[in-house]
Amino acid sequence: MTATIRRLAGAFGLVGVLVVLGAVPAAAVGETTGSCVIEEVGRAEDKYGSLDVLEETHQEDKLKKFGEDLEKCVEAPSPIIPELDEIIWGGAAFLILFGFMWWKGFPAVQRAMQARSEKIAADLDAAEQAKTQATTVLADHEAQLAGAKAEAAQIIEDARAQADLVAAEIQARANEEVAQMRARAAADIESARSQAVSDLRGVVADIAVGAAERVIQSNLDVDTQRALVDAYIDEVAGGNA
Amino acid sequence: MPDERLDGYAEALLAVAAAEGQSTLIEDELFRIGEALRANDELLAALSDSRFPIERRQGVVEDLLGDKASAVTTALVSMVVGTGHGGHLPDIVDAMVARGAATRDRVLAKVRSAIELTEDQKTRLAQAIKSSTGTDVEIRVIIDESVLGGLVTEIGDDVIDGSVRHRQSQLRENFG
Repeated sequence: MTATIRRLAGAFGLVGVLVVLGAVPAAAVGETTGSCVIEEVGRAEDKYGSLDVLEETHQEDKLKKFGEDLEKCVEAPSPIIPELDEIIWGGAAFLILFGFMWWKGFPAVQRAMQARSEKIAADLDAAEQAKTQATTVLADHEAQLAGAKAEAAQIIEDARAQADLVAAEIQARANEEVAQMRARAAADIESARSQAVSDLRGVVADIAVGAAERVIQSNLDVDTQRALVDAYIDEVAGGNA
Repeated sequence: MPDERLDGYAEALLAVAAAEGQSTLIEDELFRIGEALRANDELLAALSDSRFPIERRQGVVEDLLGDKASAVTTALVSMVVGTGHGGHLPDIVDAMVARGAATRDRVLAKVRSAIELTEDQKTRLAQAIKSSTGTDVEIRVIIDESVLGGLVTEIGDDVIDGSVRHRQSQLRENFG
């Protein structure tokens, strides 16, 4: 960019020089009235010899022509149509300047425009990429947000399910403990009842057996003892002992 | 007391009884003395108590047996007490009696009874055991009033309990 500006500055500088140079001939073409009169006088003298001769000889037509030529020197130039030499110098300067501009300035401008276009296109591409990237990031963020929301919902749902499960476990445990307490109470009652029955049965047995023992011992005389011994021997002999 | 030493004493007692020609009597008396000591823990402890002099313990034996046992039996018991093994006398006597029965090709059968058995009852009991178990036994009766009635026969580790006490126990268990 800086090189392009430098080239453009150089081109305009060169054009300025050429304009100055081209103005010199134009200034030379723009002669003064005095010089014009001098030139006309000189030209008339070259053509007719001496002007005095013309007056003396009353060559009126020539004097009139000379007078018209002098009048031309004092005539104002046309405000619209330039002088021919100006057109030539101006045209030549224009052509030179146009050629120079075509040769140096236009490529530079074209390159600058191309660079500018490329830069704008690159900026547009970068902007498009940034936009695409922003869109992608936005989509990612939205996806992450959606995922986070879904995850949060899942966590809440899991927590609720876990709470329900814990509550169910506590309820089940409480029911189980109640059932165990009832079972233990029933077992204790049954045990106490069994113990009472057993104790009662033992007391009854002690009474009954004690009575039987007293009856037996009171009847165990020598004959009974011998009879018992004989019965024992018979049982052993019979293999029933 | 090691089995070897116990068997040695049993064999010595048996040899003395045989030498005196009173094997049956001495074995029977020693068996009764041994069972009496087994049933009386205090007396058994006194005979084996080292705090008392041996002469004192032997004097107790002689005072207790006196005219209730033969002189040989009394001397044998005093000898065992004098060696300091009075506490093992029941076991020594058991080994002696079993060894004596074995020399006669029989097995010792301890019979507990509330009354003394007649010879006829002993013979019939031995025959009954032989017919039931196929073993020739030598009956040794122990008077034990705790059996109340009937008999309890011990042959080695086998016990045939036909006592009134056992029947009462069964009755009590059945009531329980």
